[in-house]
Amino acid sequence: MADVRKRQPKVCDYYTSEDGFSPGVAFCSGCVLELNLRFISRVLGPDIIFVGTPSCSAPVLHGQNTMAWHKHAYYACTMTGVASSATGLSRYYEKAGIDATVVCHTGDGCAQDVGFQTLSGAAERNEKMIYVCYDNEGYMNTGIQQSSATPFGASTSTTPTGRASKGKTTGSKNMPMVMAMHEIPYVATATLSHLEDYAKKLVKAKEAAKRGFVYLHVFAPCVPGWKIATDASIQVCRDAVKTNYFPLWEAEDGVFRITQKVKDVKPVEALTSTVGKFKHLKPEQVAILQGQVDQRFRMLQALCAGSAAVEAPAE
Amino acid sequence: MCAVEKATAPAGALPVPGIVAQPQTRVITGNGAAAWAAMLCRPDVVAAYPITPQSEVIEQLAKFHADGVLDCEYVTVEGENSAQNVICGASMAGGRAFSATSSYGLVYMYDAMFNTAGYRAPAVMINVNREPPGIHAVCSGQQDMISVRDTGWVQLIVENTQEIMDMTIMAFRLAEDHDIQLPVIVNYDGYYLSFLAESVEIPSITQVDDYLAPLKAQPPRPQLLPGSNLGCGSHGIGMGYVELRKKHMAAMERVKPKLEEVEAEFSAAFGRSYGGQIEEYRTEDADIVLVTSGSAVGTARTVVDAKRAEGVKVGLVKLRLYRPFPKERIAEALAGKKAVGVLDRSICFGWDCGPLYMETRAATAGDGSAPMLSFIDGLANMDITQDHIAGMIDDIQAAAEGRAYQQVTWLP
Repeated sequence: MADVRKRQPKVCDYYTSEDGFSPGVAFCSGCVLELNLRFISRVLGPDIIFVGTPSCSAPVLHGQNTMAWHKHAYYACTMTGVASSATGLSRYYEKAGIDATVVCHTGDGCAQDVGFQTLSGAAERNEKMIYVCYDNEGYMNTGIQQSSATPFGASTSTTPTGRASKGKTTGSKNMPMVMAMHEIPYVATATLSHLEDYAKKLVKAKEAAKRGFVYLHVFAPCVPGWKIATDASIQVCRDAVKTNYFPLWEAEDGVFRITQKVKDVKPVEALTSTVGKFKHLKPEQVAILQGQVDQRFRMLQALCAGSAAVEAPAE
Repeated sequence: MCAVEKATAPAGALPVPGIVAQPQTRVITGNGAAAWAAMLCRPDVVAAYPITPQSEVIEQLAKFHADGVLDCEYVTVEGENSAQNVICGASMAGGRAFSATSSYGLVYMYDAMFNTAGYRAPAVMINVNREPPGIHAVCSGQQDMISVRDTGWVQLIVENTQEIMDMTIMAFRLAEDHDIQLPVIVNYDGYYLSFLAESVEIPSITQVDDYLAPLKAQPPRPQLLPGSNLGCGSHGIGMGYVELRKKHMAAMERVKPKLEEVEAEFSAAFGRSYGGQIEEYRTEDADIVLVTSGSAVGTARTVVDAKRAEGVKVGLVKLRLYRPFPKERIAEALAGKKAVGVLDRSICFGWDCGPLYMETRAATAGDGSAPMLSFIDGLANMDITQDHIAGMIDDIQAAAEGRAYQQVTWLP
């Protein structure tokens, strides 16, 4: 059987349907959110319902952009009510025997800050849904304010640099790990530079959501918010993975596994030097950020080892 | 979409748990009556978070659920805000949804209540009236209900345990009616009614099924299903928004006749009725009238009888519908009276009076210059006694006779 070469699946092999979004949707030039939504739509298929809030994705998901829209069922609610509204939908579908994949799609501010209680509650109750948090590290839609996902040192409109300040003074909340500690069926990180990895996780997510709560944390750079070029966002995603700033991993029923092991890890400066919001960082600040990145990665490795995960071959 | 067929396929006869197979009389609390009534209406989803003095409602429902009497999804949410979003979501998906709360719990739902009403999700909720400010104000007062009046929910206030039972059943019939499609709150005074045990007539579940059956004959309401080309919550911008608000307002106005209709059906089925939007007691030949709501009405009725025996021509108006405000029936009931008093269990900042007083006065503004007195009593579990009410009636009578009067009186 040695002559049968196993073909690596390509991204398009994971597509189950046509793109549910029309052309011409209103995202900023170079924004990864458009790709994110179209990708979720194509991999998960038409029989889903999106739940979302006022956010960058709202105009497209919930129809303010009325000339270009999508074919999916959707439910829009307040930022405090995403996982709970989705619970209401999901529980009724359960009661009525309706097959459903309820997909929450929110930014980091909603997931980690104002909507965190309800997200944590739904996870604890193991409600059947997929919660996708697209992490652009702040409140980009309202004008680039800091959130609990904003990293150490980053300049935002509420942590601006000035004579007395050098950006955000604390690190970001390690949200995917927080969600993993809820011991839900499936947690994973993903980003738009590694679509095969993301697709596999979406397929697993859809299956796992039949048993309970799924959390996907998607690294999603913001072109104007991060002050990067419109053609740079996918490269920034890649850099975030290559520096271990945003490692790609999953926790399946409590078993942690790094899904994209990076062979030659680059220093975090390879990321920060290309992103405008970090431009002001002094070497000692970069060192602090590097320390946080390393610490988090060691913890992730320890969890992988401790939960007896089998690691993926190096990229 | 094959799964949808499963949901809409005829399910055959609904199960009839032994405990509710026959009409019965039981001594139960006001909270118990709310729970029994909700159970009898077969909600698909119940979202529950405890708060004094409401907790007994959701505990009783949890027991019904645990005993297999209530076949529903029982969601033990992590806070009232989530309870509100759960019932809105479940309702938009097509289900019958119920929750219960009180005081801070109600105001913690505030942002989401606009959505539930704005999306026209016909959920039903119990609010056990309790004061909001201060962590030790764990006591009766109607400020909670007043503070959510502009969220677009229908709000009712009831007087006793039997009325809690009956109005909760009627609330589902009203909320889900094709002409209404609005969420409904049934309010009752904490402590005075929540923990008061009285003899209550409990209908059988089959009787309640029959009472709610007209809903099934109505056009089906839109159901948000996965895979469908439907959405909710955008509420449009510009004219789309204005249109939805105007339709919401129109539906709210339709509640007034619909409540009377729904109650007539209830009366025909169960032999009890409450007067619809308001109940008038000895108002016809009255010179003066006291307007109030909730648990104080029983006391007021007793005092009105006593004053009548003394020759004072006093009547009583019991406000049952708070939103929409029954301005036409109030104006009619108070037309030509020589003086009117309104007893509030809450306060109205900015108008220096009680909120029901402010609204009653607005409803009768075209009615000349009959004196109108505001009484604020019963805040924070301070008992509204017969003596208090007798004093109010004396003040109203004095004003009717042309003597000087105080416009706003705080008691005790």
